[in-house]
Amino acid sequence: MDFNELEGVEGVRLVWNAWPSSRIEATRLVVPFGVMCTPLGPIPELPLLPYEPILCKGCRGVLNPYCRYDTDAKIWVCQFCFQRNHFPQSYHQISPQSLPRELFPTSGVVEYVLSHPLSGHASPSGMYSPGGGGGVVAPPAFLFVVDTCVTEEDLDGLRSALKQLLSLMPETALVGLVSYGTNVQVHELGYADLSRAVVFRGEKEVPTQQVHEFLGLTTKQLRGTGPANIALSGIGRYLLPVSECEFSLSAALDELQPNPYFVKPGFRPQRATGAALSVAASLMEVCVPNVGSRIMLFVGGPATVGPGMIVDTDQAKSIRTHQDLENDRAPYFKKACKFYNQLSQRLVSNSHVLDIFACSLDQVGLAEAKVAVDHTGGMIVMAETFDSDEFKKSLQRLFARDEEGLLKMIFNASVEVMTTREVKVCGAIGPCSSLQKKGASVSETEIGTGGTSAWKLCTLSNKTSLAFYFEVVNAHSNEIPPGTAFFIQFVTQYQHGSGQLRLRVCTIARRWCDAAQIQDLSAAFDQEAAAVVMARLAVFKTEHEEVFDIMRWLDRMLIRVAAKFGDYNKEDPQSFRLASNFSLYPQFMFHLRRSQFLQVFNNTPDESAYYRLMLNREGVVGSLIMIQPTLFSYSFDGPPVPVLLDVSSIGPDRILLFDSYFWIVVHFGSTIAQWRKLGYHTNPQHENFKKLLEAPKEDAEALMSERNPLPRLVVCDQHGSQARFLLAKLNPSITHNSNQQGSEVIFTDDVSLQVFTEHLQRLAVQG
Amino acid sequence: VDPSTLPRPLDGAEDVKPVGNLGCHPRYLRLTTNAMPNAHSLVSRWHLPLGAVTHPLAEAPPGEEVPVVNFVGTIVRCRRCRTYINAYVMFTDGGRRWRCNVCSLLNEVPVEYFSPLDENGRRRDADERPELSSGSVEFVAPTEYMVRPPMPPVYFFLIDVSLSAVKSGMVKVAADTIKASLDKLPGYPRTQIGFITFDSTLHFYNLKSSLTQPQMMVVADLEDPFLPLPDDLLVNLSESRTVVEALLDSLPAMFENNLNIESALGPALKATFMVMSQLGGKLLVFQSTLPSLGFGRLKLRGDDPRMYGTEKEHQLRGTEEQFYKQMAADFSKFQIGVNIYAFSERYTDLASLGVLAKYTGGQVCYYPAFHAPLHGEKFSYDLARDLSRETAWEAVMRIRCGKGIRFSSFHGHFMLRSSDLMALPAVDCDKAFAMQLVLEDTLLSTQTVYFQVALLYTSSTGERRIRVHTMATPVVNELSELYRAADVGAIASLMSRLAVEKTLQSKLEDSRQATQQRLVRSLREYRNLFSVQNRTSNRLIYPESLKLLPLYTLGILKNVALRGGFGDCSPDERSAMGFELMTMSIPRLLKLLYPSLLRLDEYLIQGPKAEGLAGLPSPLALSSEKLDPRGAYLLDDGLRFVLWLGKVLPPEFVKDLLGPEAAHSADFTKIALAEQESVVSQRLLAALNALRESCPAVYQICTAVRQGEQPKEGTLVLSNLLEDRTAGASGYADFVVQIYRQVSQKTS
Ligand SMILES: [Zn+2]
Ligand SMILES: [Zn+2]
Repeated sequence: MDFNELEGVEGVRLVWNAWPSSRIEATRLVVPFGVMCTPLGPIPELPLLPYEPILCKGCRGVLNPYCRYDTDAKIWVCQFCFQRNHFPQSYHQISPQSLPRELFPTSGVVEYVLSHPLSGHASPSGMYSPGGGGGVVAPPAFLFVVDTCVTEEDLDGLRSALKQLLSLMPETALVGLVSYGTNVQVHELGYADLSRAVVFRGEKEVPTQQVHEFLGLTTKQLRGTGPANIALSGIGRYLLPVSECEFSLSAALDELQPNPYFVKPGFRPQRATGAALSVAASLMEVCVPNVGSRIMLFVGGPATVGPGMIVDTDQAKSIRTHQDLENDRAPYFKKACKFYNQLSQRLVSNSHVLDIFACSLDQVGLAEAKVAVDHTGGMIVMAETFDSDEFKKSLQRLFARDEEGLLKMIFNASVEVMTTREVKVCGAIGPCSSLQKKGASVSETEIGTGGTSAWKLCTLSNKTSLAFYFEVVNAHSNEIPPGTAFFIQFVTQYQHGSGQLRLRVCTIARRWCDAAQIQDLSAAFDQEAAAVVMARLAVFKTEHEEVFDIMRWLDRMLIRVAAKFGDYNKEDPQSFRLASNFSLYPQFMFHLRRSQFLQVFNNTPDESAYYRLMLNREGVVGSLIMIQPTLFSYSFDGPPVPVLLDVSSIGPDRILLFDSYFWIVVHFGSTIAQWRKLGYHTNPQHENFKKLLEAPKEDAEALMSERNPLPRLVVCDQHGSQARFLLAKLNPSITHNSNQQGSEVIFTDDVSLQVFTEHLQRLAVQG
Repeated sequence: VDPSTLPRPLDGAEDVKPVGNLGCHPRYLRLTTNAMPNAHSLVSRWHLPLGAVTHPLAEAPPGEEVPVVNFVGTIVRCRRCRTYINAYVMFTDGGRRWRCNVCSLLNEVPVEYFSPLDENGRRRDADERPELSSGSVEFVAPTEYMVRPPMPPVYFFLIDVSLSAVKSGMVKVAADTIKASLDKLPGYPRTQIGFITFDSTLHFYNLKSSLTQPQMMVVADLEDPFLPLPDDLLVNLSESRTVVEALLDSLPAMFENNLNIESALGPALKATFMVMSQLGGKLLVFQSTLPSLGFGRLKLRGDDPRMYGTEKEHQLRGTEEQFYKQMAADFSKFQIGVNIYAFSERYTDLASLGVLAKYTGGQVCYYPAFHAPLHGEKFSYDLARDLSRETAWEAVMRIRCGKGIRFSSFHGHFMLRSSDLMALPAVDCDKAFAMQLVLEDTLLSTQTVYFQVALLYTSSTGERRIRVHTMATPVVNELSELYRAADVGAIASLMSRLAVEKTLQSKLEDSRQATQQRLVRSLREYRNLFSVQNRTSNRLIYPESLKLLPLYTLGILKNVALRGGFGDCSPDERSAMGFELMTMSIPRLLKLLYPSLLRLDEYLIQGPKAEGLAGLPSPLALSSEKLDPRGAYLLDDGLRFVLWLGKVLPPEFVKDLLGPEAAHSADFTKIALAEQESVVSQRLLAALNALRESCPAVYQICTAVRQGEQPKEGTLVLSNLLEDRTAGASGYADFVVQIYRQVSQKTS
């Protein structure tokens, strides 16, 4: 079974593609029944149906090709609740020769254009705008929240980036501007006479109702008008359509001054990031409630005052490190996290997304704010300046358009999971939040965000992936014949870039198997999906558990997998073998243990937060690159070949292309670097050399073009200082501790993959 | 009594001459009597206030300006009593020592100040030294008179932009006037300027010089107002001139459609304080709505008729809101002087708002029911004068006097710092101050006592200066001497201030009675003094110097600040007048107490016989008997003009004066007097302008009223005809009879 290919058709990958039919057997498989689902992944020839879906009157499951149906009796049976349903009147002409599109065998995934939110299904409430209608919802709003505690150059970079952004936005989109430093200013872009802003104290969190009052957006101030009119009033003043505000926004941006408060030497500027976000959220709540929208924070340093502050202005106090967090020496951490948790809930309930563009050499407080970004599906970009490519390109890519010229941006989505009776969903891990939907499919066991069968994603892309965790609840006594199918349906409702409301239905069928047939199970194991599902779980655990404990847990799990699925003689490590479906799994775990997701050494809490956030939304392929970077070798010997992620892969006459998702390194072997310095590539006689030099760079460009945020590109030479970005990720098969005389040595005490594998074998065979 | 024989000040302005040639001009300092009693017994029989009225920055005619003295070394002062060297000190020991005229201490003459004496013991350089030859000098103070570098002139504008403020046209007139006055603000190029506007929120303006237009920042947190910017809310005018002008240009339009009816004045004051506290300066508050939000929120309390006549009546004339007192104290402490401009047509509790001006040396300008087409010109003039007149910054004033007497109470707008130091954050040429004297236990043994007023201030040019006025008064031991030397103007000034202050403690009726009692007692004393000659006389007798005192006393009793009760004038008008009286100079006060009534119809038709004031007809007794239905009259009390037009004036004449509008107007008071194409109109305006120039402190707006047009005729004219009997108050003749009776009663 090629799981990758299947993913291309269904948009999902299961750790286990066949499940034991009893609960007891199922629990013995060690690796959870995870499903990596890319709800809106690109599916070739995806049917787009311009009519409403047919729902089961019992469980609201959607009619799909796996249902049993009778075209004569005009009846279909729901495979989730076994309810018999009549086809509606409009289906009276169906016959085996003339089936509706959703019943085609190839219609495991279909998409509907909805004219109304699907009743009975999880739909974020009030997703309809008053003026919308006809299935088209209100245009999104984009609120820029700009930190002014930056240098004039940085501010310039930001100004030009934001002005350029305007040209990338749809004309009907709404735009607003909040700037902040010591205080928070909400710019009234609709005020014609001169630039006007409402100012809030940065030191305190103003309650939402009061923010509305200060902004003049309350019923009382607007003489008893209803919420709709208040929103309109706010839209005319603080949020304006792109088509109307180009001038006023540019003027407001041009007039932005670096925070004018004097900063004493040895002190950080007063940066009221939390207050600014809180005010921004309140503004959006009243102007565009439940309209998919983004609050885009552009921050240049740590939050130092008010809610969400992470450090004092006094530079004698340093910004918290992982060690500080572990030792409870981060006095503001918990309070800030609590603040962002509450903010996150406010944002989610209004379908507002938080993006953070952190352009700073210091930490800005992502570790604390991450929850609000993660739960709303927002984006984090980390760069050093607002003038950098990483920042500018990432920002532009967020506003990429599809072939039809529509924003690829998706808002206000919900994913609901329907399951066969014997299967329950334990939870989801991904950039989502619970919609608190109870029901027959919900398991009592919680993994990730559980206790619900529906999740909300304020935004997502066609790459965003959720990890769902299931369990088999069938009693051992209730035998199900192996080979019988079970079903899971993912029903994703969302707002398309066109403003259309759409529904994607993905129904998958897999078979029950006999747990005794270990090779059947083995064959059904997708080790890549398994690694990613485990990685998500491990990262999810970092929120509440010590990394040390998580490592121990990963190790135990791996040993149990090896013990269960390995082929060996007891107590004989030499005899240990793993089937090909499992063979890479230990290696994935090895790299996961060493990855920046779990190893915090050398990373700041902000960096860890960023990496974890990114892993939490990436699909199987991308996640694997994050966990175990890829390494290709380019030489005169032929086309590029993958090589071991090992220090031994470095060679003087090779160019290596390293991709860890976040970093792309082009590493020239010493000889090649030498030749390049001598300018051989400029000599027409050495055309081949020129091509060799260019090939990895072109490939690197290609890799970078697909990703957002933009990865950091490092081009370096062997022995150069930049080469550390590569060395840090290579398997330390040769270290300063080993006796081998090699070309390259890594200074580390980490164990190598070989040592790790030997340990594993020894422990697995102990039984 | 034959009313026609009663004394009246009809022969032009009083002309008070300096006493001796070394003393200061009386425009700066006047005593209630130019003789000091040497014993308590004399004082107790004097009954009238014993004290002084000083007008330290009074405008002087060209050529009579106070000379500026720049000392080499430190300013010469008495070692003991700190009196500044003056024309009255005596030099001895060949000029090496000088005797203090106030405390008699013998002081060394500093080496650099030494000059030999002539044969009369006078310094040879006395004539070249203004401080030795003139009663008024201004010393340039060296650094020891500074606690900080001299501040630049600072003008801060706090402008109400709520619905009524905008609709009345106030905001536009204010903005236009401020803009037009920018070049006249004193202190270029150091002058600083800033603005806050407010309704239910506070609007700050970033006026940074590098901006092309100002940035408006709104702060709505009234419980915790704060500054949205650390700088650039108060800027150097010359640097930020274009931004300031841009703001003033757009201000009226910005709020044109403002529907906000709330007023967060209190929070706005707090915010202003934060902006200004670093430098101090002058704060001009433009207020059109009763403060309704945040600190200092005020209640509609003044229009409750049930309070009148009760023990609580006076509370209406004070403030119940501690906020304003506290704010005033803070302003004073940080050298901020507040002027209140009030415009409401409804009650705005000026009694409370005025506290800000009262304790900071400021003033209250009230334009009830302001309507720009009618009152814009006055407001604009007053504001322009406020912005351009000579102003002394971060000032303190002290008045010293010789041994045996001391100043015991002070009356005017200031904050008393220590027992006799008046703090005046910003004081100008239109403010006068009064104080009362008491005798110490020791008898005055000298022949002469000296008074010295010293005003230490920062000039608009940034110099620290001390303006010193010195005068001498003979000590007398006869009561009659006191009476003979009495200064009715200074007495009226002190009496009016005491009367106003009493209305803050008790009922209006009580204050009026106390004022009248003073008059009665003193006249009785005087009558007793000359009992032998006068016992048989059945007329009121008074010393020549006090012949106008009954009239002025009646003027005080009938002044808006004291007259009648609830129905007679609005509480705000009463308060405003009270504040006015507490700062007025003596000449302006006397004009107010006895306005001039001029018959103009003939004058306008025939044209003036002489230029300017001299050509105007003589004033008439203030009585309705003088009003001829065929005539046109001008009533001028120094604060405003009322043009009374007789019923049978030819309509053509009226039209020529008021314009074609007059033909069909039911209410002349609604007509803004403007120049018409007729010669009578031009003559009228020329006459009005001449009168205005003679009394420049405020702009006298001219309101026309037609005979019989009630109630306007009553409030504008009839109630101000002092000699007439009005509801509940005597006419002049009755009053004199009444006083006579009271004077005679207990003595017979
Ligand atoms: Zn069903
Ligand atoms: Zn002395």
